[in-house]
Amino acid sequence: MNLSEAGESRVRGYLFMLESSLRTFLRRDVAADAVREVESHIRERVRETEPMPNERDALNQLLEALGPPHRLARAYSAEMAVDEAVSSGRLGATARALVALALNTARGFAVGLALLIGYLAAAALLIVAAMKPVFPDNVGLRWMNGEFRGAGWELSIPPGMVVTHGWWVMAISAVLGAITLWLTHRAARRYLRLVSERRQLRPGPQSL
Amino acid sequence: MLTGFPMTVPADSWTEQLRRGGLELAILLAVAPGTRYGLEIIRHLQEATDLVVGEGTIYPILGRLTRDGLLQAEWQASAAHPRKYYRLTDAGTRRLRVMVQDWRMFASKIDRLVQAAAQEGGK
Repeated sequence: MNLSEAGESRVRGYLFMLESSLRTFLRRDVAADAVREVESHIRERVRETEPMPNERDALNQLLEALGPPHRLARAYSAEMAVDEAVSSGRLGATARALVALALNTARGFAVGLALLIGYLAAAALLIVAAMKPVFPDNVGLRWMNGEFRGAGWELSIPPGMVVTHGWWVMAISAVLGAITLWLTHRAARRYLRLVSERRQLRPGPQSL
Repeated sequence: MLTGFPMTVPADSWTEQLRRGGLELAILLAVAPGTRYGLEIIRHLQEATDLVVGEGTIYPILGRLTRDGLLQAEWQASAAHPRKYYRLTDAGTRRLRVMVQDWRMFASKIDRLVQAAAQEGGK
């Protein structure tokens, strides 16, 4: 079967959606290779399909057999993002893998949420430490009329509020932030390694 | 969607799990005789089994088996369009041997149980 202009545009649309979804989780070159393979599959299926009066139905049938592009992308991402994160250990790759798992499994969602809280806590502590040199008078322990009101960074200090021990708060925040980041990232990598090992025993993407 | 409490697995779900569990072995067996590209593997599996429900299921698994070093992939130009061919690596051959052995042992044990249950039920 030779595709009409409309059919060709439908195939390009499918591949475009697949590539867009894959790029959310995967490196550009990895996504491009996956799309190229799926395109090869579609082209061959189209070529071997007998010409039909309704090209649209034939094409729909063919693409339905392959699965919707977002589901196919999810299956790819769950498989590949974890491997990339385990092998590289990079923060970006780890985040992509955690997002992919969170979207695919209930356990992935729960673990991803816990790790997200860890990463956010680390980021908050490191931001407090980083703000001290920029806003020297706004980081520290906050007191109002001798009463303790909180610790950390406050963008605007109201009249009457006293901020003390700024450099101590900066140092403690930096150390705690670094430790929290290290522990959270270590836990994330351990979880992803576990997922990778388990998957070798239980093959098959969960989403398809 | 949330699971984790022990419960009876519905028949459809059990069949689905069995199908998924066998798919990796089936893919390795499909490329054991020689190189094959994705669609060829799908056709081969569709002819012999009902393991392939969604055709797209195969490609992510092929990608993982390649990254695990069990398959080697290579793009080759053909008359119409390029195809990505897969073949077993040495590690893949060794893994396949172990998987086939495990599968046979597992199947024979379950068979024995099925026969024993049938005989006891017939008494």
